[in-house]
Formats: sequence, structure tokens, C-alpha cells
Amino acid sequence: MKRRLLLAGLLLSGCERDPWYLPASSARLANDGGSAVAMANPYTRDAQAIAEGKRLFRWYNCAGCHAAGGGGMGVALMDERWRYGADDRAIYASIVDGRPNGMPAFGARLSEDQAWRLAAYVRTMNGGPNLAVAPSRADDLRASEPEARREPRAASDD
Amino acid sequence: MIEQTSGDLHAALTAVGVGAQRIAALWWPSLWICTLVFCAVIAGLVLALTRRGRAQDGSTAAADDGDRRARLPIAAAVAVSVGLLVVLMALSVGADRALAKIDAAGAVEIEVIGHQWWWELRYRDPDPSRSFVTANELHLPAGRPVLLKLSAADVIHSFWLPTLAGKRDLIPGSPATLVLRVDTPGRHRGQCAEFCGLQHAHMGLLAIVETPAAWAAWAERQRRPAAPPGDARAARGLALVEQGSCAMCHNIEGTRANGVHGPDLSHLASRERLAAGTLANEAANLAAWITNPHRYKPGVTMPALTYPAADLDAIVAYLSELE
Amino acid sequence: MLLLRRPALRQRVLGLLLSSTALFITAAAADVGDEWPMATGDYANTRYSSLAEIDTSNVQRLVEIARRPTGAERGHEAAPLVIGDRLYLITPWPNDVLAFDLRRADLPLAWRYAPAPDAAAQGVACCDVVSRGLGYAQGLVIVATLDAQAIAVDAATGTERWRTPLGDFRSGETITMAPTIVGDLALIGNSGGEFGVRGWLKALDVASGAVRWEAYSTGPDRDVRLGPAFRPFYASDRGIDLGVRTWPGDAWQHGGGNVWGFLAYDPALDLVFHGTANPGPWNPDQRPGDNKWTSGVFARRPATGEAVWFYQWSPHDLHDYDGVNENVLVELPIGGALRAVLLHPDRNGYLYVLDRATGQVLSADPFVEINTSRGVDLASGRLLYDDAKTPRSGEMTRDICPASPGAKDWQPAAWSPRTRLLYLPHQQLCQDARTYPASHVPGTPFLGATVVMEGSREGRGRFTAWDPVARRIAWQRRERFPVWSGALATAGDLVFYATMDGEFKALDAHDGELLWSHRLHAGSVGQPVAYRAPDGHEYIAILAGVGGWAGNVVAGDLDRRDGSGGGGFVAAMRDLPAPSDRRGALYVFGLPR
Repeated sequence: MKRRLLLAGLLLSGCERDPWYLPASSARLANDGGSAVAMANPYTRDAQAIAEGKRLFRWYNCAGCHAAGGGGMGVALMDERWRYGADDRAIYASIVDGRPNGMPAFGARLSEDQAWRLAAYVRTMNGGPNLAVAPSRADDLRASEPEARREPRAASDD
Repeated sequence: MIEQTSGDLHAALTAVGVGAQRIAALWWPSLWICTLVFCAVIAGLVLALTRRGRAQDGSTAAADDGDRRARLPIAAAVAVSVGLLVVLMALSVGADRALAKIDAAGAVEIEVIGHQWWWELRYRDPDPSRSFVTANELHLPAGRPVLLKLSAADVIHSFWLPTLAGKRDLIPGSPATLVLRVDTPGRHRGQCAEFCGLQHAHMGLLAIVETPAAWAAWAERQRRPAAPPGDARAARGLALVEQGSCAMCHNIEGTRANGVHGPDLSHLASRERLAAGTLANEAANLAAWITNPHRYKPGVTMPALTYPAADLDAIVAYLSELE
Repeated sequence: MLLLRRPALRQRVLGLLLSSTALFITAAAADVGDEWPMATGDYANTRYSSLAEIDTSNVQRLVEIARRPTGAERGHEAAPLVIGDRLYLITPWPNDVLAFDLRRADLPLAWRYAPAPDAAAQGVACCDVVSRGLGYAQGLVIVATLDAQAIAVDAATGTERWRTPLGDFRSGETITMAPTIVGDLALIGNSGGEFGVRGWLKALDVASGAVRWEAYSTGPDRDVRLGPAFRPFYASDRGIDLGVRTWPGDAWQHGGGNVWGFLAYDPALDLVFHGTANPGPWNPDQRPGDNKWTSGVFARRPATGEAVWFYQWSPHDLHDYDGVNENVLVELPIGGALRAVLLHPDRNGYLYVLDRATGQVLSADPFVEINTSRGVDLASGRLLYDDAKTPRSGEMTRDICPASPGAKDWQPAAWSPRTRLLYLPHQQLCQDARTYPASHVPGTPFLGATVVMEGSREGRGRFTAWDPVARRIAWQRRERFPVWSGALATAGDLVFYATMDGEFKALDAHDGELLWSHRLHAGSVGQPVAYRAPDGHEYIAILAGVGGWAGNVVAGDLDRRDGSGGGGFVAAMRDLPAPSDRRGALYVFGLPR
């Protein structure tokens, strides 16, 4: 009997796994009862969501300004300088509400879930909190090290 | 929810396209020859198993005699095998040549781009302003060759319209071509034939072969910019589409929705199915798809979008007008 | 006078009179005298000063007379204007205008005007937040700001007179060009091809700021101002609404063709010449067709904006080879006759000589190594692309030469009527590119291409003297970095230019020998000018402050580890030194007294 219970328990635990493609934030948000900006990014350690964030970074023209993190029309995202803060809240707010020096507000153009996925990806661009889930390749010209191999580096004034 | 495909729509043995007919002309003789050979081999085997045993006197003379008697049938079998193989080879070379010889002069040029998990169809014209883009529903003129330029946007896909032509792989960075000709109007179903991820099974394609006149009329409608919204509700829908998430990926010709990553919606309402053959194109399905596409195609790149009921209603009303 | 009553004869005589004035005017235009009244020096774009006090014999003694900080950082691409006893300049964003008093040697500030453009406009400036200069007319300084406004400022007091919004920077529309004044009109065009902004040139009434006419670079003939007077030389430019029909669907509505280069004006023909920039997006697969009227040149009537002819340097532009480079108006002996021509060094690598009355290409010769095309067919006017270097969506194309900034970008050339040579500041770069589909979302970049540029570590820059009659290079100097500053030629047989690592140089105009060099506090991408101050002596002025597309690695603090940064320019500029002081400055040089 005990064995059977154990087996059933093991099987059921499989059911608890979130399907990765479903938006996680809203559900977890509701559970936490907090506002979007008050919470941590649900995708910080989710390789699949980060890979999708990378795809959105290209699709939604982020790469046009920020390149592969080196910047251009927009600021560099692979260095250690963060004008408005490097944490999830600040990055999420930059994407959704925009910033006064030229970052447009994408709030109306993204689902909240997509904004979190993007923010999770952006954090991997300069080494990020967890290299283990950072993308290790790009479907593009190789102009820089892939995110998984990037060292966080303070921008120097050389 | 998945399209009910009758044998005629999606059957490799029903050869309608000229290419498929050439392949059928190879396939049927191959089947008969192989069946014949198989039966002959089995018959030989049965004969060998059931025939009376030879005297076990061990004399070399008898063995020599047996070998000598076996020579003729062996030689005959080899000769027949070689002959049949030559026939098969000739048929195969002939089929290949016939496929290659489908005349592409005056062909309609269509770029077919495989995406995860839908088909982008770009109808080219020497006059660029007469080119247009659609998705998942391939309209072809009967009797006129069609030059398909195949490529893939993300991973390897394979283009397969079983009733019309053979498979052709779509490999990123390595474009391929396929010439099609179908002489009779009809409806056919295609399918991605190379595993391409989660929703590979839901990457369907509808091919509609029309009389040249009907096809030209269809193409002319597709060339027009999208219909302007008919009422206030649809106008609100257009505004929501232009200013919201939809325009990030979808194009609606003549509006400020100029996305290129998802299917072109300029004439969405003219298409029979939604989501690459997955759903019937009805307002309820469209609303359900926008709200939670993962219910129908888990993992699809279309995001789940939360709209107040009135907004969703307006968007669906607008999209349903895009004939 | 009786004879002149016969219209045909009258026309001919008038034409003769006009063409003789043309010669006179071009000669006169080449003589800007004591002042530097427009960014280009003169209407012919020669950037030639007839001052000869500083010459090959004394240039070695040239010293820094004054150095005044501008208060702004980033790329200082503007040309100072000198009118009367004032020197006017405009900084990069925030586009402050400064007026200096030339009556005193230390150049005290007369006034400073801050137009306060919106900070968010910085986010839609493709290639650094530059301004290329000011316009001047009727006692007004005409200012164009990065957030797409035109402003007139009283030249005497620095007070604002009028302000006209010309575009919507939130959709990516900016202005970086120097306004050009023709008659009582200020001609101003927009930037923003990298955002899919539809290009235009607008004419504003100098006195009131009211828009008199506007001419788009794409769309129906009415918008482009193509009427019965439009007679392009080549058949491929003739037809109804080509600005719509050479595009798929409504792509022309976000097709670029912006007007951000220097304009030229021929008073004799009464024609304004302006280039049109690259079509959007960069990914050519998204816009099959010739993409009229992008990457070409228009000749227009200044009073009405009506086009008279058009020629397309790069039909269906494959590599962001904008057509906005300056057109230098000169008279050249070609085929035994003196012809009124237009010299145009294009980004696609060819130096074009066009008959400026008709738009006929007389010659087109490569002035750098080119592998993207095999030449220009003079019969049809077509650029002959090499298919091997045509980018295809989803594929990689290697070794594209020249790269997207072209053989020569915005940096303006100079022409000396004494040596009859065209002095080109430019670069030799190649690139790898990969293209992919891009969505047009207003206010976000519309590129569809990742490029990575490269040049040899030694010698990415060139300063070339081109002989347009012999159609060959007369002499050439190599520089470590692209020469991103303008050129200046003087009657002292000197040519001036500056480098991105901060050397301001004077060469012998005849043979390119380096005669003088001065270390600036920062790299320069400015336009050198010459003038005679109220004290009666000649001075040379230039702005320093590194930036622009090539210098964005420093100006924009880009991360040098990502070669695709800054539109792919970072890969070729990783070793560009950042100055210890990033603020820009005006430098004035003269002979010691």
C-alpha cells in the first residue's frame, strides 16, 4: 500500500510542473496579491523563457538600438552601468514605461508576460544573476560572445 | 478541432498534380514489380521448404549433378532481377526527368517560407506593387505552372502537398525550388513533413486550385489594401490592433499595423482556417485564439492577450471584416 | 530689342546671358570672401576660401588663437558660420546656438540660445545626436533641432523669432542637416531612414517660418512634386507614380529616402540639388522594386519645389548606400567643351560626373575598392550590382565592400579651382551582413540587418585628391581611423581636415604633403572653415568633439565587446581612443602676430 501511495505521489508531482509556454506571472501574481512592479521576475531562472525573451528582443526591434548588448542608438546593456537600476523592477519599468532619454514605452505593445521574459533576457546580457540559463548561441552573425559566456564587466573609460 | 481530412484532400495515392502523377507513374509499377518479386521469392522459399529431400548417399557425382541443375534457375533469377532493377531504374530516371521537365515558363512565382508553425506565402510579380502576401492558404491557377521558392525562417521544415507533388525540405539559409502544375480545380491539404518542434503536427496548409479566371479574381482581391472598418466598433478594433500588441507581429495592408513576424492579416476573413489549419475561421474561434492560443497550439509564439470583453469584441469584429 | 521679340531667339540669347552669368556666379560663389555664410561655404558646395594669407610657406607657424568650450558632449559635426563680426555655431543635442564676437582675439560669447529640444529625441537619432550646421538669412539664424523643429533666432540678440514643428520625433523623425537658404526660403529635410520615416524636404518662409511647400521622396507624384516639368534623363525614372509602383503594397509609406545631406544651388539654372537617403528597411527582401525616389538626387525649382530631373545612384539600395552625399557644382572641360557638371562622390564607391542641367551621367569611376557592383552602365544609368554580394533574408553575406557607411559618408569634400582637384575625406571599410525581416513599429528602428564592419587596423581612413577630368586619384593619404571631418581648401593652396584621434592637419593642395598638424583635446568630426576677422587677418576654425556614426563607440559609450554595436561600426572602431575631456570645443587658428 505504501509503495502504491509513493508511486501515485511521484506521478502526481509530475503534474505540478508548469507548462513553460503558459504565462506564469499573472497566476503567480494573483497568488502573491502584489502589483507587477513589486514582484521579482518569475523567469529569472527559466532558460526557456529567457530564450523566448531573446527572440522577442529581435522581433520587437530592441536589437535595432541595443545591438547584441553593445548598444548603438540605445545604451549598451552588456556593461555594468545602469542609469535606472539593474534589478528586475527597474528593467521591467524601463521596458513598459520607457525612459526620458529616448527609450520608448512598450507597455501598450507587450503582454505583461512578454515584458517579464524580455527583462529576464536583458539581465543575462551582462552576465546576469545566473549564467546557467543564459542563451549560449545566437542565430546571427557572431559579433560578440554569447550571453552564457559573458563576464560582467564594469565599463571602463578607456 | 483539427481539420477533418478526407482521403482525397490529403492522400499520397491520389495523384492530382502533374508532379504527383509523375511520381505515381513510378510508384505503381514499383509496387507491382516489388509485389511480384516478393511473391516469387516467397514462392521459391515455400518450394524449397516443401520439396522432397535429396538422397543422402554423399556421392560427389550426385552433388555435382545437383549444382549443375541449379545453375539454370539461378542464372534465370539473376537475369530477371537485373532486368527488373533496370526497369525500375529506368522508371525512376524517367520520373525524375519528367519532374524536372515540368515547364516553368510563365509560372506564377510564390515564395513559401516555413515558420514555427505556419506558412508564409509571398506572391511575387515583376511589378513590385502587384506582389502580395498571405498565409496558410495557397491559391493556384489550374493548368498554369507555379514556381515555389522555398525557405525557412527558423528551423528545418518540409513542404508536402501529397496529392500535388513530392516533398521538398525547407532549410534555413539554403533556398530550394519546386515547380507545381495542377490541371484541375480542387482542394488539397498540405502538411509540414519534417519535425519542427512542438506544433509540427499543427502546421497545415490548404491548397486551393481554381480556374485561371477565379484565381486571377482572388489575386486581385488579395492585392487590394485591407477593407476600411465598416462601423464604429470595427474602427475601434483597428485602433486597438494598430496601437497594441497585434501590430508588433502582424501586417494589415494600408494600416499602421506593419509587423512581419506573424501571418499577414490583410485578408484574414477570406481564409477558411485559422492557425495553420487548426481552427475553422469563425468569430468565436478567433476570439478564443487571441485570448489563449496555447489552448489550441501549446507553445505557439502568439502570446495570450488579455482584453476587456468589449475590446476583444471590437478586434474580432474588425478582423472578421477583412475579406 | 526687336530681335528679342522672337521668342525662340529671345530664349537663346537669355540662355547665353544666363550661362555666362553661371560661369561668373560659380566663380563668384567659389569666392566666399571674408565670411563663411553657409555650412557649405558657397552654393556650389566647394568649401573653398579665396583667402591666401595662410599659405604653404607660412602654415607651419599656424597657432591656436582661441579655444572655446561648447558646453555639449558627443559628435560636433557642425560647420561654424561667420557673418560680419560674429561666429555662430550649433552644438549636438541639446542644439544650443552660440554666437561669438570676432572683434576680440579671445572670442567672447555674445549670446547663447538654448532651444531645449525634447530629450527623448536622442533615442531616435540613428548615428549620434549630431547637427551639421545653421542657416543664416535676413538677420536671422535658422536652427533645426534634433526633435524636428525649425527655429529662427535674431542674429544680433539671440532671441527666438519663430518656431515651426516640422515632424514627429516620436515616430523617429529627426533633423540633423544644416538648413539651406535660397532666396527667402529655408530648405530643411528630415532624418530617420533607420526608423522607416518617409523622407521630405520642406521650404519655410524665412521671415515667418510658414511652410511654403513640401516634397516627399516616396509616394504619389503629387507628394513628390513631379509635374509636367519633370524630365528625368533615363527611361527607368519615367512613369506615373513610380514612388508608389516601385514598392510592394504600402511599403513606400515607411520607405525612408530622407533628406539630410548638404544642398547645392545653381542660380543660373535656378535648380536646387539634394540627395535622398536609403530606403527602409535595410533588408532589401522586404521591398522588391527600384524603391523610387530613394538613394538618388533631385534637381528642383526652389520657388515651388517642382522636380526637374532625378537620377538614382543605387536603385533598390542593397547596403544602406544613402544618396545624400554633397553635389559639388563646377565647370569642367569634358569632350572639348566646358560643361556645367555636378561632382558626386557616392557611398556606393563611384565618383559621378553628371550634367547638372539634365541629370545625364557623364562618367562614374570607382574611388575605392568595390565588390558590390561592377560599374555603372552609362547608356541606362543603372548601377550594375554583383549578385554575389546581394543580401538575402536569413543568409549571411561576407566581405561587402564598401560597407554601409560607404566609400564616403556625410563628411563633405572640398574643391579648389586652383588645383582643379576634389578633396575627399572618406574611408575604406568592408562588412559582413545578415538580414532578417523587421516589423515597422513607429518610433522603433526598422533595419532587418546585423552588420559587422572591418577595415585594416592601419588605414581605415583616406584623404583623397581626385582629378575629375583625368578621372583618377591625384594623390592620397591614409589615416588610421575614417576621416569623419569635412575638408577645406584655400587659395593659399592648402587643404585642411581633422582626424578622429584629434589631429588637425594642413596639406599642400598640389601633392598632399603634410605641412602642419595640431593636436586637439579630442577627436574631431567637424567641418573646418576659413574667414577674415575684423582685424583683417585670416583664421581657420573647426569644432572638436568626437562622435557621429563612426565615433559613436566613444560618444555613446558603447560596449566594445559587441562588434555589431553602433550599427556594426564598433567592430571597426574598437581602438578609437576616448578623450579625457568629452566636451566639445571651438578651435580658432591663425598666424602669430
